[in-house]
Order: sequence, then C-alpha cells, then structure tokens
Amino acid sequence: MTGLVGRSAESITGALRGVFAAERVAAADGFLQRRDPRATLCAVAGLALAVMITRTLAVTLCFGLVTLVLARLSKVPLRRLFARSAVVPLASAFVVLPQLVLLPGETLVEVLGVAVTDAGVSYVVLFTLRVGTGVALLSLTVMTTPFSAVVAAMRELRVPVALVWVIAITYRYLFLFFDELQRLILARNSRTTGRSGVRGGWRDARRLAGTFLLRAIDRGERVGRGMRARGGARAPSPYGRTRALDRYDYALVAFAVATLAGSWVIRWGL
Amino acid sequence: MGPVIESHGITHEYPDGTTAVRDVTLSIEAGERVAVIGANGSGKSTLQLALGGLVDASAGTVTYFGETTDAEAVRDRLGVLLQDPDDYLFNTTVREDLEYGPSQLGMPRQAADRRIERLADRLGLHGLLDRPPFRLSGGEKQRAAVASVLAFDPDVLLLDEPFGAVDDRYRERILELMTDHEGTVVLFTPSPDVVPEVAERVILVGQNGSVVADGSVREVLTDVSLLREHGLRPPKTVQLFDGIVEREAVPLTVSAAREFLGREVR
Repeated sequence: MTGLVGRSAESITGALRGVFAAERVAAADGFLQRRDPRATLCAVAGLALAVMITRTLAVTLCFGLVTLVLARLSKVPLRRLFARSAVVPLASAFVVLPQLVLLPGETLVEVLGVAVTDAGVSYVVLFTLRVGTGVALLSLTVMTTPFSAVVAAMRELRVPVALVWVIAITYRYLFLFFDELQRLILARNSRTTGRSGVRGGWRDARRLAGTFLLRAIDRGERVGRGMRARGGARAPSPYGRTRALDRYDYALVAFAVATLAGSWVIRWGL
Repeated sequence: MGPVIESHGITHEYPDGTTAVRDVTLSIEAGERVAVIGANGSGKSTLQLALGGLVDASAGTVTYFGETTDAEAVRDRLGVLLQDPDDYLFNTTVREDLEYGPSQLGMPRQAADRRIERLADRLGLHGLLDRPPFRLSGGEKQRAAVASVLAFDPDVLLLDEPFGAVDDRYRERILELMTDHEGTVVLFTPSPDVVPEVAERVILVGQNGSVVADGSVREVLTDVSLLREHGLRPPKTVQLFDGIVEREAVPLTVSAAREFLGREVR
C-alpha cells in the first residue's frame, strides 16, 4: 500500500504495536522499576482516577508534570513516552472536536460562518489533556513493569479474577491485533509497486479491512489454542514479582492517595 | 505403563466441509518415540490438535493416560507445540512466554526458574529473554516456542514441525532435547529425513486424513513406493541405497550410511 491511507495505517499500527510491547525500559534501574508492582499499580490507579475526576486545567497540568517527573525518575525517554501515549488522546480529540462549535460561549473566531467558542476550546483542550495524562500514566506502568507482574499484582490485590482475565486477554489480543495488521500491511507492500492516489489508497484500505478482519479472527483462534495448550483455560496466575514493601513504595501510594483526595476536594469541596 | 494417548475413530471436519482427520484409531504408549508423517494438507496438524485436546473431534474420542477424555484435566502433562511459533508466543517478552506455561500449570517458581535457565542455555535464548517475541527472527521464535513447551516439563510432547526456520546448530540442540526427554515424544513432520534420528515408530497419514501405515521406522521409511504414493520423498539415505542393498540393510541415517560404506569399502 503506497497511498496516504496505507502509509498512515502502517505508521499507526507500528506505533500502537510498540505501546503493547514491554521493552528494555522495564529492565532499567529506575524509580518505578524498583517499586513493588502492587505499589505501582495502586499509585497509578489512584493518579489516573484523580486525573479522571479533575475538571481544572491547572490541576490537569500538575498531573501531567507529575507524570513527566515519574518518567524522568524511571529513566523512561520522554520522546518514547510521548510516542506511545499520543495516539489515544489525538483520536479522542478528534471525537470531541465538534464541541468547539457546539458548546455555547464567547466567540473566539469564526470559521466559514461557524463560531468557535471559548468554552468549546477549553473543553476540547482539557479533555485531550486528561486523556493524554491518563494514557501516559498507564504507558509508564507498562513500560516500567513487566505485564505478567502487573497481572500477578492484580491477583494479589484481590482484583476479581474475571476482571483480571479480561484485562490479560484484552491486552494480549490488542498486541496480536496490531501485530497481525502490521504483517498484513508488510505482505501487501512487498507486492505493491508504483504510487496510488488518495482514491486508490482508500480502495486498498477497504480491501485491507476485509482481509484483516478474517485474518484477525483466524489468528485469534490459533493463539487461543496456543494459550490453552499451556494452561490458558485456567485463571491467570503469573509468577508474582512482589517483595517486602519499602518506604518508597508507601510514599508513592500515600502521594497518590493525597492527590486523589486533593482532586476530589478541588472538584466537589469538603 | 500403558497408553498415554488412545484415540478411537476420531474424525475432524472443518466448517467448510473439509475432513482433515478421518477415522483415526491409534494408541501411543508411555515412553514411545513416534513420528507422524504426511504430505502438506494431509491433516497432520489437525490430528495433533485433536490428540492434544485443542480442537473437538466431530466424531470419536481421545483418552489420556487411560483415565480421562478431558484434556484440560491433564494439561500439565501434555506439551502441545503448535506449528507456527507466532501463535505460541503471545506475551510481551520471551521471558513471560517461557514462564506462562509453568505458572499457569502450577509449577513452583524456583523449579520453573531453574528449568527456564537450563533451556535458555541450551537453546541460546539468554540474550533474547527481555525482547518482545515479534522482534525475533523466525529461527529465534521457533527456539523460544520449543523452550516454552518444554518449560513446564510435560510427560508427553506433541510437537508439530519443531525445527521450523531453525539453523543446523540449533536443530541439533532441539533433537538432543527431544532425545533427552524422559517421557513420550510424538513428532509431526512432512520431512521423513529427520524421523530416524528421533523415532522408533512411524505413522503415515494419507492425503484423505486417514492413517495408511503404522509400523517401525524401517518398515515405513524403506517402503519407497508407499511414501511416493502419498506425496513424500524417502530419506536421502534410503533413496541412495534403495535397490542396491536389501531393504533390511538400508542405512536410515547419514551416520549409519557412513558406517555401512566404511565397512563395505574396507
């Protein structure tokens, strides 16, 4: 696929596949890597919840700053963190874009006779920042903690088995989903010559979507067998990587609880 | 000891009407080394999945260890390696994939660590443990998949083309691991050349998915016309010596052929 649609699909799937793959960052000696996975999980869940309930731009920016500090302390390259976290907020910004003109407020600018309001702009900016910060926090967890350790921590924290199962399967299948798409695009590219225009690109994309659906279902079945062959029909029970909690673990969780409480108070008061 | 796997008239039909496995009745004894050979599309992989309890047979039953027909009840004793390593490596790092079977099947952590360490040594996986499987080469994926099935130390190995894209050095290592395995080994392969090195019994699957021959390695692999009739080329040494020496004297491996020629030349 040589068209714009093909190139875009290729770059997006490459980036998304990377998001779901733990790499060497998890083996680095950083702040979050040294934490007990239970502490990391509780802290990130608390911070993400705090980001979700906030409706203030300044508070959201503070959470963004906290995420960046955690990334620096954990030796996570910021460029990689941005690359992994950018797709979801951009997609969600696209979804809420109509709010720019739908929300009533003071007109900032008129485009083709349609007024963009200040309330609309702040809504879209705040929404995108909140999603971006939340996704960055989750990416940070995935990048600094092996996924099996996250699943084991959930089991130890007594998260319901059904929920852990759903998360574990979804995560693995998302990873395989993007892997399959990447392979399909690669196979098509290897047999495509010349350049196709926008119309040709869309035609290719339609064909690709149909083939991809069938291949994804087939691969899902085969991987399901691969899981069952090694005990996948039983509840997820990866080896834990927990150790005795230290004062930094407690400090991290306490910080998350405090920010969650602060966020609650800022939004709803005492 | 008794049979570890017994199938009675199993048939598997895919939704499109293709019958991949047809009325297969066989028994595999504990500690046996068996090779299931057949041309591409003969239904070997489907037979492996049916024997491993990973697809439901349309008809017939499979009994495990003479005690149950439920494969999930004995999953920790059955090591089923699928044909494509990409279907087998679904975790985010190779280490997580190697730990997946042992942890799911209840092997204690320390025992699993020791076993994974030994397998990583033998299959040259140490530098790959923290890498995502999709970044590995074909041969590396195959080695990781073989290590993943051996990691939980199953009694019975059902291996579908375990050599894949592996180079000669690691092919030898995989053969050694299969030889060292103390339990039962069932190898599914379209390549008769490798069979004499690992098996003592051969089951030949015909193009219609049924068993057309079941006998000793010598009986089946020296029957050149039978193999050709079912789309297979006999092992190279058999091709070389067929018609020149008695069927019972045909060397089945390169080392046996060297010995034979050495004796004859002297």
